[in-house]
Amino acid sequence: MNEKLWAIRAQGVSKKFGLTLRQSMKYGLRDIGGKLLGRQSHSGELREGEFWAVKDVGFELFSGEALGIMGVNGCGKTTLLRILNGVYAPDAGRVQMRGRVGALIAAGAGFAPMLSGRENVYVNGALLGLSTEEIDGLMDEIVAFAELGQFIDLPIKNYSSGMYVRLGFAVAALSSPDILLMDEVLAVGDLNFQKKCFDYILKLKRQGTAIILVSHSPGAIWAICDRGFFMDKGGVLVDGPVEDIIRAYDDQNSRNAVASSTQFEQAVAAHNDADSEDQIDPEYGHSKGGTGDVICTSVKLLRASMGEAIDEFSFKESFLIEADIDVKEPLEELLLRFTIDAVHYRFITVIDSYEQGLPLPRVKTGKYCIQVQVKTPNFRPGAYTLNLGISRRNIGVHLFYWFGASRFVVKHSQDEFLYADNNAVMHLDCEFNLSPVSSQSTKVSPFSVGDPY
Amino acid sequence: MDNNASKTVRTYEASGEILTPLASLQLAYRELFWSRHVIWHLFVRDFVAGFRQKLLGYFWVVLTPLIGIASFVFMQSTGILNPGNMGIPYPVYVYIGTTIWGLLMSSMAVVSVGLINNADLVMRTNIPTISLAVTGLANIFYNLLVNLVVLLFLLLFFKLIPSPWVILYPLAVLPIIVLGMGIGLFLAVVGSVARDVTGIFTTVFTLAMYITPVVYTAEFEHPFLRSVVQWNPLTYLINTPREIIVSGDISAPFGYSLATMVAFILLFLGVHAFYLIKDKVAERL
Repeated sequence: MNEKLWAIRAQGVSKKFGLTLRQSMKYGLRDIGGKLLGRQSHSGELREGEFWAVKDVGFELFSGEALGIMGVNGCGKTTLLRILNGVYAPDAGRVQMRGRVGALIAAGAGFAPMLSGRENVYVNGALLGLSTEEIDGLMDEIVAFAELGQFIDLPIKNYSSGMYVRLGFAVAALSSPDILLMDEVLAVGDLNFQKKCFDYILKLKRQGTAIILVSHSPGAIWAICDRGFFMDKGGVLVDGPVEDIIRAYDDQNSRNAVASSTQFEQAVAAHNDADSEDQIDPEYGHSKGGTGDVICTSVKLLRASMGEAIDEFSFKESFLIEADIDVKEPLEELLLRFTIDAVHYRFITVIDSYEQGLPLPRVKTGKYCIQVQVKTPNFRPGAYTLNLGISRRNIGVHLFYWFGASRFVVKHSQDEFLYADNNAVMHLDCEFNLSPVSSQSTKVSPFSVGDPY
Repeated sequence: MDNNASKTVRTYEASGEILTPLASLQLAYRELFWSRHVIWHLFVRDFVAGFRQKLLGYFWVVLTPLIGIASFVFMQSTGILNPGNMGIPYPVYVYIGTTIWGLLMSSMAVVSVGLINNADLVMRTNIPTISLAVTGLANIFYNLLVNLVVLLFLLLFFKLIPSPWVILYPLAVLPIIVLGMGIGLFLAVVGSVARDVTGIFTTVFTLAMYITPVVYTAEFEHPFLRSVVQWNPLTYLINTPREIIVSGDISAPFGYSLATMVAFILLFLGVHAFYLIKDKVAERL
């Protein structure tokens, strides 16, 4: 701690995997044959059907530092953690770890259901690199930390899942490692126990433990880490302060949400291909349908400033909706309406031509282009879906509807750090104020929104 | 926390160069020594867990080999099996033979499935893989002791007095355990890449019992079979410990020494193969 010595040093670390089991077995046997015959391996190159699970990752982590790693599923986080823990040998590069490594991925490793909690502590402790004497010394602390009391002598098959996890965490944490590797393990136990875990991890950090936390939870990363990696396809895409990592991760999730809905839609469309392409169904229950009096052929989103079609906007950036419609019959009292869905909620807002000051009493047949300028959208970063509905004032059904007409992503901005809730969709500009309650005043809230003065 | 500089640094890197056989052996020694606590605790765990909640508890260890010899004794007593001239009661002969053969097969089996059985620990902890592969062996040493006790009772029952050299018996069977471990280590790494290798090999290997004096003396008329038995190292690795118990006279000291050497060379090769291949194992478990 006194000297600035690295705790973890990784240089150009890469790891590849075979896509299929069969291929992996084939290459495995070939590698084994080569090794046994004393041939040099060419592990630094990809062969057909292989991919880089981790590609060229390098960093130094000093004692007392915490590195958060985020990334969508399959980006290589867990593989990297396993390389650091010595489970996988890297195919290229080198990892050095100084001191005892406590891996919370090993919490509860080797627990045998028939044995008592106490007996299992010895097994698990040994697996974490503790000697029997060290475990003897730690036993009381472990029992206290896990809040097990007399249950420590109960066979752990009779433990509740919470007790089981608490015991596992207690052994791993109290082994006071020099390096702590964690993979999503903080969400265990009740709130008090979770609080205790956070406190303990931060205490270890202050005492000089170097921490690596892999998590999908921005809150956990933000709570513990100083800096982080955002990983994608095995590589480190963003290396910087945790705020940047959380933004990059959230944006990536939004993009994936859009991509997967689009793919799903295409799959459904391909499936329904048999029932003609242009014809639209005069019933609900499809993604597109209507009476045929009017149809919309395309819906685009444009960046207000440039006029280019785009599907990603910055937070609060104004944008333009452009839709081409084909009116087949003359229509009276036409209503053009867009609704917007967030990932978890439908119809979070509506943009209606009548509401927004464009009454359309009579529209002749012909092709039209609708343009809607969305001036100050306050969608929080995330993925959104735009739906279109066309109806008439005097007719209570849709002449045309199109769910998922367009999709877009609202990205995080560099100026604001919107981490608080992934499910929230709207952002309200507010002013927070916290003031102590003085003994005289009677009507002051300690927590007020807006200007209290 | 004490001074950082004094802490050991572990390095994991893409190994460009190939380990020399001697380096593998050194590494194996260092890693096994480092993880001796783990091996011990895993042994205790498996041992205790194996016997809790079983009707006969620890008695199983004694019962299993006795049931094992019953069929051979039955065949011999009905005259179906003619084991040859043994000089000692057949139950004693077959008990010692199957016990030693069992040591070979079980040490091979536990080491070869050690990694697959401990896959969870291989994936989640940084315990050296060789230690996880050999933890099962601890149980074999325990079984060996129990078998020895049962044997003494058996000898007592037949009113035989064991030779004083019987105390060397655990040492005398060491080579056959070593042999099993060597083959097992090789199977452990190859078997975790191609799962069926271990099963195929073990099944075929079982046939070797018939060219080894396990349940009969294997004194064949046929000259070819005769020389097979003579050149089979297992012949000496099984006969010699048996002689040590019964008479204390070793009939083929040279053959036994040679077979012991073969066993240790195989262990050495097994360890080396294990270290060459082990990096390919974790990702395929």
